Amino acid sequence: MLTIARGELIQIFRNRLVLVTALVLPAALSAFFITKHDVFTEVGSLGYLATLTLFFVAGIGLYTTTVTTLASRRQNLFLKRLRSTAAGDAGILGGLLLPITVLSVVQIAVILGALAAVTSTPADPLLLVAAVVSVVAMMVALGLATAGLTNSPEHAQVTTLPVSVGVLAVSGWVGLTGTGDLTLLKRLLPGGSATELVLNAWNGGVPLADSLVLFGPTLAWVVVAVALATRLFRWEPRR
Amino acid sequence: MSTTPVIDVDRLTLTYGAFPAVKNLSFQVERGELYALLGTNGAGKTSTLETVEGHRAPTSGAVRVFGKDPRDRAAVRPRMGIMLQESGFSPDLTVAETVRLVGRLTERTDDAGRVLGVVDLTRKAGTKVGQLSGGEKRRLDFATAVYGTPELVFLDEPTTGLDIQSRDALWDAVDRLREDGSTVVLTTHYLEEAQQRADRIGLMHQGAFHREGTVAELTRTLPATIHFGLPPHAPAPPLLASRGADGKFLIETFGLQKDLHTLLGWAQDHAVELRDLQAGPTRLDDVFRAIEHS
Repeated sequence: MLTIARGELIQIFRNRLVLVTALVLPAALSAFFITKHDVFTEVGSLGYLATLTLFFVAGIGLYTTTVTTLASRRQNLFLKRLRSTAAGDAGILGGLLLPITVLSVVQIAVILGALAAVTSTPADPLLLVAAVVSVVAMMVALGLATAGLTNSPEHAQVTTLPVSVGVLAVSGWVGLTGTGDLTLLKRLLPGGSATELVLNAWNGGVPLADSLVLFGPTLAWVVVAVALATRLFRWEPRR
Repeated sequence: MSTTPVIDVDRLTLTYGAFPAVKNLSFQVERGELYALLGTNGAGKTSTLETVEGHRAPTSGAVRVFGKDPRDRAAVRPRMGIMLQESGFSPDLTVAETVRLVGRLTERTDDAGRVLGVVDLTRKAGTKVGQLSGGEKRRLDFATAVYGTPELVFLDEPTTGLDIQSRDALWDAVDRLREDGSTVVLTTHYLEEAQQRADRIGLMHQGAFHREGTVAELTRTLPATIHFGLPPHAPAPPLLASRGADGKFLIETFGLQKDLHTLLGWAQDHAVELRDLQAGPTRLDDVFRAIEHS
């Protein structure tokens, strides 16, 4: 797995398009949010700003890069090549997705750290970390499922739109309006309960037990996405 | 040493939807053999090869490699090298990085520099794979297949797109592998290669073996041929000969030596020049052509 991950990391840094979508774009947007943090805090809260940056990195950087990477490695038969060796399927996928996942987590840590440094520290850092991990897991799993429906890296620009735009919209909606009304719907939509969780963790004032329940929907999405991925994922291009 | 065949295919059937790509195919490859799987386009050789390599599951029947299920990668892949029909390398990695990556994943040990030397790509070690020519990619693919000198090597159309020097160099490398005891499974469109090098040939047509055996066994059933041209106004040749559209004569015979002697004696006696005289046993090409008529 680490051998594949190393090769993948080299490829990420040699491919400008991937580098821009995966790293530069989310980082630039987040930097913009943080410099304008007073405006966003006025509209929502600091927690809202945290969810915005988190979902930009995970929804655009991590998710679309996951789909694009897998589609492109399949299209040029690199997946088949890896499967011609002794490496197992889980090790191959793990190796291919490890670098972008680690890069995204580091990015999120740096951005949220910067936000905390510029403003104030989150109320419950541990809960925040757990929330971030659950979002990362959900986006990677959704990426695996989406890759099954994606024929080429170009096609990924279309197939990733529903989830990346959808998750960002849900997150923005929940972040601004809270879950006071339409509670169940908002929590069940992908990213909804995770957004509420990040808000709670950063802003505080919510009993821990009430927050822990919010992991349920996100983990359910992970399970659904993985189940879809096992049915949809293909290792070789259609002929 | 055990007598288990390296590859054992037993009544293999592969269907895609309703289309049967391979029908009830059985064959074995023994240790140290060079076995060529040949066939017309769509005959099912790639499907068969991919099943034996472990890329595909049989619809029915059994495939064993080293006595194991070839899809058990951890068990069989360290012992086999695979040269794919289409390379499947990342264009952003260099030649040396690619050999090291794929080589390490085979779990065999070798030196990337050595295998690049084998295929004469040492000077390209630092070049990105995306900048290689088609022939160079084939050679890189061969290099990854022979990394660590595996016991079993699959070569799927290895010489397609190679110039004659590279082709000779590749076959030299295959000869050295075989001296080390490796078993080789080959598919190719160049029938001469199979004729010259294969110990046995499985000739596929419409998902089944049309014939299987040594080159001699395959060609024995068809007559040898004598081709020649005659000057205008020459007397009729002494043997039953058909005449092609180009005016050349063709004699088909199961007694090549005797008939050739007759023909040469006749030419000598009548002072006739036999132009472009060619005589020899049936070639695999002819066996292939005969498939269409059978």
